[in-house]
Amino acid sequence: MREVIAAPLAGLDLRQHYGHHQSPAVRAGGLIFCSGMLPVDPQTGERRHGTLTTEAHVVLGNLKLLLESAGSSLDRLVQVHALIYDSIEYDVLNRVYRQYVANGPPARTVWTAQIEAGFKIQLDVVAAA
Amino acid sequence: MRAKREVIPLPVRAPDTASGSGQPLSMAVRGGDFLFVSGLTAVDLKSGERMQGTTASETRQILTNLKQLLDAAGSSLDKVVKVNVLLHSMLEERNMNEVYARFFPDQPPARTVCGARLPDGVKVIVECTALA
Repeated sequence: MREVIAAPLAGLDLRQHYGHHQSPAVRAGGLIFCSGMLPVDPQTGERRHGTLTTEAHVVLGNLKLLLESAGSSLDRLVQVHALIYDSIEYDVLNRVYRQYVANGPPARTVWTAQIEAGFKIQLDVVAAA
Repeated sequence: MRAKREVIPLPVRAPDTASGSGQPLSMAVRGGDFLFVSGLTAVDLKSGERMQGTTASETRQILTNLKQLLDAAGSSLDKVVKVNVLLHSMLEERNMNEVYARFFPDQPPARTVCGARLPDGVKVIVECTALA
């Protein structure tokens, strides 16, 4: 079974705000696959550009909202792809990231990529449903 | 009990590398409930030749091939749960997105799009996970 998970708050619906042709998340086979999470205001969808630290806090906050609305949580993450704009920020990412995955952190890969709208971070994750 | 892992034999061949040798990958592998599809580039499925074009035309070719590939594997575009799209430039995101939308009319899969350095002048790579 494949089930589309709706955005818990209007700002997290990137299809509505930015025309991205994607569902916020899809549940299938006991897992939840999330679309690339970006630092947008969860209420309004406005882009929240900032430092990697501030952007990461917004992204992880959005991810928490999305997963919890789907009956999962940050503790149930199994795999994370962290895309950052520059590998020099790796330690900065970790400082924020570890605050959100204190208990048995998920498998993770970090790499550098070009992220839309000049954002500094995007998280691509799979969680246990 | 061990979960099943199965390479799906498909009438689709990975394009040859620049050196002329085949690539060490399977186009699709079933593991558990899922079908994992390798990153696809724009190729002609019959000849295996690369079809270099615009971001839009490469996206169209890739998704046409993906549909055929998933159908041959007993899955379908409707069963895709997650797509990763790699673009040679994020300035092309809109060009990709417009074509992409036509292939997933309703309830589109979760998706991540990013810009990356792609090999051999390729403009788009699409990889996906589907329910088997």
